[in-house]
Amino acid sequence: MSRIPDPIVQGLQRGWKVHGGPHAPLPETLQCDVAIIGTGAGAGVTAELLTQAGLKVVLVEEGPLRSSSDFRQLESVAYPALYQESAARKTADKAINILQGRCVGGSTVVNWTSSFRTPTATLDFWRARFGLADFDSDRLAPYFTQAEQRLHIGPWLTPPNENNDLLRRGAARLGIPAAAIARNVHGCWNLGSCGMGCPTNAKQSMLVTTLPAALDRGATLLVETRAERFELANGQVRALVATPLGGTGARQVRIRAAHYVLAAGAINSPAVLLRSQAPDPHGLLGRRTFLHPVVMSAATMPDKVEGWQGAPQTIYTDHFLETQPIDGPMGFKLEAPPLHPVIFASTVVGIGQEQAGLLRQFPHTHVLLALLRDGFHAESPGGRVRLRSDGSPELDYPLNDFVMEGARRALLAMAEIQFAAGARAVTPVHELGTPLADWPAAKQAIAALPMQPLLAKVVSAHVMGGCGMAADAARGVVAPDGTHWQIGNLSVHDGSIFPTSVGANPQLSIYGIVNRLAQGLAHRLTGRQVALGPPAA
Amino acid sequence: MQRRVWLKLGVASAAVLAVAGGTLALWPGPATGSRLSPAARPVMQAVGAAVLEGSLPAEGAARTAALAGLLARLDDLVAGLPPHAQRELAQLLQLLGTAPGRRWLAGVDAPWPEASITQVQAGLQGMRTSRLTLRRQAYQALHDLVAGAYFADPATWAQLGYPGPRSL
Repeated sequence: MSRIPDPIVQGLQRGWKVHGGPHAPLPETLQCDVAIIGTGAGAGVTAELLTQAGLKVVLVEEGPLRSSSDFRQLESVAYPALYQESAARKTADKAINILQGRCVGGSTVVNWTSSFRTPTATLDFWRARFGLADFDSDRLAPYFTQAEQRLHIGPWLTPPNENNDLLRRGAARLGIPAAAIARNVHGCWNLGSCGMGCPTNAKQSMLVTTLPAALDRGATLLVETRAERFELANGQVRALVATPLGGTGARQVRIRAAHYVLAAGAINSPAVLLRSQAPDPHGLLGRRTFLHPVVMSAATMPDKVEGWQGAPQTIYTDHFLETQPIDGPMGFKLEAPPLHPVIFASTVVGIGQEQAGLLRQFPHTHVLLALLRDGFHAESPGGRVRLRSDGSPELDYPLNDFVMEGARRALLAMAEIQFAAGARAVTPVHELGTPLADWPAAKQAIAALPMQPLLAKVVSAHVMGGCGMAADAARGVVAPDGTHWQIGNLSVHDGSIFPTSVGANPQLSIYGIVNRLAQGLAHRLTGRQVALGPPAA
Repeated sequence: MQRRVWLKLGVASAAVLAVAGGTLALWPGPATGSRLSPAARPVMQAVGAAVLEGSLPAEGAARTAALAGLLARLDDLVAGLPPHAQRELAQLLQLLGTAPGRRWLAGVDAPWPEASITQVQAGLQGMRTSRLTLRRQAYQALHDLVAGAYFADPATWAQLGYPGPRSL
């Protein structure tokens, strides 16, 4: 049995104030300075900074509190416990499967640790199109540096696993530059189980960094409790109403605060505002929700790849982002994901002997994925969050021809790299995709694939937008300081404020940008200057 | 109500809508459930055997046990879905559990327990590349459920060449 110290178990023993689920009963009412909805990247950073400023904070999380003692590196345990909709959240037409966290720590507990600062080209676009004048790399740099120090973000010096090294080698043979991905880990065991919750606490998620800091400073955490709606009056939030999950007829909790920070993640943050019937004079709420739609290419390699072991996503190439204009045909970023049985078997297309044959190749299977950079072109307006009749959110994200044209180029680019890396066969992950023996055959076959929703397999692990940020209310839901344009005592601090997709794995964009927003909020509320510091020894 | 929720699955054809609406109207039972309904079990048993041909044990007690395990894990999987997804899945399986639904949506003529693996596979292949969005959605739901639930079991990992997580 594992003897790895569990900082959450230790914190609970120290007397952290945690209510809901199996913890202390939920109070009927709560009073605090700031109520934060969510516990992911934006919420964690905000909670640490506001408690540092001496504010009394309550965090509301719909997922459970799980920690390293619960993380067994098993998909069957992790997906229902740690992900939205058991890792099967889908867009309205079911054509895109969305991986999004739902637990204390949010997606930071289950992400693959890839850490990129917001690309300069993306910030340039935000300044030009959304008036975000002080969003430039230089002025954001100190906030990124603080977040990197706080979360141990740095170069990963261990050699890449074979799944990633194949990307490096294939790209090199084609003269395509590829580089190493920085990771937010400290003492990583190189297990490859990041997506199931880090069992060694090496991943510097919110669960083991900012949230313990906030709880040690007296913050209150409500778990298994869903933020239902804000009570609004005269352009202010008067209270947050939250409902315990699970039990029928369970009592609601009413939380009164001077200020509220919505950080429930894209899809869920706009949903809270929609349920609250928040003012939306320009019809922007929930719109421009972006996904970095992902397509995949599977190759059979002569040697074993064993994509389940070793750190995932340690090599990338931005060649197909940087060699074309950001507002032209859709560019894409290439990475190599971790491979585990459930996600692999449900992603491999086909049935019967066809599928069984591909599954038997698992140890020799190399997978590349392409993240399509959405939101920078008139034909890439993203999706729209709306509410079902039961109040739950649904994202309608049409995969139009513009997106699918990018997807086809991505399948071509990945196949060419995989053959350059020595693939014996490459199968585009598409219902009509078959194993292709060489690059000329693949080029022809991929060019002829019907690129339609529910034929090409499309997934997403990055949800952004829906409460976009802009310099004026006509273009955004929130102002450049994170404050809601129509609701004075409400800020939004998560990936939903991005006016386009990021064009890179978004966690560090959220940490860095929210770091600045939350420092500003702390100063406005208390007059104090706070900053994310290096972790305590 | 059922017809409205069903619409959300994305019906691409008035003909299919008529079948779906008509069929569901004949089926008064509740369309929700946190596990597979009795009517859904033969559907998933037959679909499971067809999807997993080549991965399931070929015959005998091992095959019976593997299919029983699949259904048990599907129950677990369904229990972990949010209410809206449970409702949609229950409606899909309810529809497939009727003779008209089985014929028109899945393209399988024989009742599920009697349909051969070849017949069910032919039906699934038709759904997989159908021009109707609804049929492709249904195919992917069945495929992903079966494949995900089956290979969640560590007993299946040897045939994938997967050693399981590294022990700490």
